[in-house]
Amino acid sequence: DENGVEIKKFKRFESYKRDNQFPPKVRDMAIVIDQKNATVVLPVMGRPVPFHINTIKNASKSDEGDWSFLRVNFLSPGQGVGRKDDQPFEDASAHFVRSLTFKSKDGDRYAEISNIILTMKKDALKKEQEKKDMED
Amino acid sequence: MSMMLHSENFDNIYLDLSKENGKCRFAENGLGWKPAGGGEAFTLDQSNIGNAQWSRAAKGYEVKILQRNSGITQLDGFQQEDYERLSKIFKNWYSTNLENKEHSLRGWNWGKTEFGKAELTFNVQNRPSFEVPYSEISNTNLAGRNEIAIEFAVGEGDKTNGQNGASGKGKRATAGTDQLVEMRFYIPGTTTRKAAEGGDA
Repeated sequence: DENGVEIKKFKRFESYKRDNQFPPKVRDMAIVIDQKNATVVLPVMGRPVPFHINTIKNASKSDEGDWSFLRVNFLSPGQGVGRKDDQPFEDASAHFVRSLTFKSKDGDRYAEISNIILTMKKDALKKEQEKKDMED
Repeated sequence: MSMMLHSENFDNIYLDLSKENGKCRFAENGLGWKPAGGGEAFTLDQSNIGNAQWSRAAKGYEVKILQRNSGITQLDGFQQEDYERLSKIFKNWYSTNLENKEHSLRGWNWGKTEFGKAELTFNVQNRPSFEVPYSEISNTNLAGRNEIAIEFAVGEGDKTNGQNGASGKGKRATAGTDQLVEMRFYIPGTTTRKAAEGGDA
């Protein structure tokens, strides 16, 4: 691989280098979309946790009474979807966060978030494809 | 010499993800927190302070105290420059090292789950990505092959006003604008390789 021989390999990516790069809105302990850094920041027990768009499979919204739910699904082994080389697995023996589900009374916001995530995902895949085409 | 007990105070501190901020006071015999708008105070005796960690959180920097009785206290809203002062407080008064715990910012969803005394930690490249206190978990089940679902105690949500209390089950999950209700992990099957068990770095 060092000699230009093509091997399917994990491409490293990183949301942030320093914690002062978090968008200020993480204060609200809400889901924050950071398109500039291709990252979705999710609040887990008071901590903003970045997830790079490359780790996200999709996000789906559902409703139950007054509440709306947003489920963020992540790429992980054993899902039987996607091409293997698209999956950012560096270590197959690792544990994976497979999904995080949130609820809120603001369903419109969840619809918007899932749309933005869909767009970000498309953009990321497009960029990746363009990069591949350039390399060929 | 004065007979007054010396204390150190910090304003705009959030206790256990409280909606309202308050004043946090450290003294030799322990610490206290009082909501700015008045209300019941929370106190923690010096003898119950086990470990203390310093990390980036939502409002600012957080002091997390792992109590000797397995409880967890989170105090969020400190400034980065408060570290030195707090570090001295913990060292001099509580004989505890305020450990600087940097969280992973990589944005990866794979790593290792680690089960501590009071919380589950998801580590990415040997750095914590997030923690889940056991007290917040209402249910866990095997949701599928190699898939574990953890459900959180989501109570009335809106009613939480910042009182901690030892029985604050589900307080943290419901604290924010977006309430975490479920988390699923993919955990590969236990391998037959004995080496896999020992090599937990």
